[in-house]
Amino acid sequence: MIIGLYVPGESIVHRFSAGPKLIAMFCIGYTMAVVDGPMALATLAMCIAFVFVFIAGLRLQHLWTATRPLVIWIGIIAVAQIGIADAQTAANVILRLLALVWTASIVTYTTRLTDMTAVIARLCEPLRPLGVSPDRVAFLIALTIRLIPAVFDTVRGVREAQRARGLERVYLAGFIPVLTRVLRQSDDLSDALVARGFERWDGS
Amino acid sequence: MIELDQVSIRLQDRIVLDDISVSISEHRIGVIGDNGSGKSTFARLLNGLIVPDSGFVKVQDLDTRNDGKEIRSRVGFLFQNPDNQIVMPTVAEELELGLKPLKLKVADRARRVEEALERFSLTHLADRSAHLLSGGEKQLVALAGVMVTEPEILVCDEPTTLLDRRNATHVMRLIAELSCQVIVITHHFEHLHDFDRVLVIANGKITNDGPAKLTIRQYMETLT
Repeated sequence: MIIGLYVPGESIVHRFSAGPKLIAMFCIGYTMAVVDGPMALATLAMCIAFVFVFIAGLRLQHLWTATRPLVIWIGIIAVAQIGIADAQTAANVILRLLALVWTASIVTYTTRLTDMTAVIARLCEPLRPLGVSPDRVAFLIALTIRLIPAVFDTVRGVREAQRARGLERVYLAGFIPVLTRVLRQSDDLSDALVARGFERWDGS
Repeated sequence: MIELDQVSIRLQDRIVLDDISVSISEHRIGVIGDNGSGKSTFARLLNGLIVPDSGFVKVQDLDTRNDGKEIRSRVGFLFQNPDNQIVMPTVAEELELGLKPLKLKVADRARRVEEALERFSLTHLADRSAHLLSGGEKQLVALAGVMVTEPEILVCDEPTTLLDRRNATHVMRLIAELSCQVIVITHHFEHLHDFDRVLVIANGKITNDGPAKLTIRQYMETLT
């Protein structure tokens, strides 16, 4: 699993800072919500795909990577919406979903995590008088994002070890080893942060 | 100068380090020994990640029990597994992270990161995902992440254990060339021949201590 989806590049989208990109993302999201009709939504989705590939300079493979997790949901939404309403409603929902995910992907693929967390830190700035350290909040978010795939890797490692020993369907037996490994990794990471002086960092 | 005086560490009912006294002032020091001999605990004592149950550890006249934070600002630590050390998504961000506690200006931070990237030949990987690099590259990133803070002493806990021979040699060559004092805990004692001093730890005690080549040869004789 990839940690930090940032794809290095020199495009104009890459050069924009995180703040304007996030504002643009919300504006596009709002537009997608108010625009109606499959033709208009399809045009907007195509425009976003165009920006994705030709202006942001990302590959079609990245577009597919962003779209792949949606395939099952698109199927479920199509069946459900056609059953409940009609094909046009289904198309509207699916096109909105695709356009929103592609827009969000453009932002995550072209923005470094630190730039993103810097925006979060700025947004948290008003909370400083309440004792909240914006930089610490931003760092915690970055750390959490980094740990999610690490936990997935641990689960996969334990599952592989179980399968190698013929324990194909004993899912519960993996819980304790996963928990033990995750706690050990947390200890190691905590040691590494202390060793790098993070106990001296007051978050400013 | 690092000084350990009658240092003992117990883990439940097991004695991990037993009444160790040693002074370390040489430029490059190797520490070797079997698994479970207490080497990693010894390493963690040197920057105050662990404090002794009895005795004291002094680093440049600072006691790890009272001055741990100050000591850790002077003593860098390189862990065995870079995956446990690397936090940020890209190489450049990872190097910049270590500078946060130093409260440098943004321009100074960027300059130091750039210098470290260049020094460890990582410039071409600056924007790459640190977690998708090879084992050797990851260990280089971890080393650069420590060295970017310009520590006076570097402690390395088995930095080459997870690396192949080529990468292990490369990483050890870079470590040996550092101008700061370097203490390397390792099983790969072939990399320590040019070091100034080697300590052998067995069953929680320093059982041999001397010039690298002689001490390593004597240790190898105990293996056969």
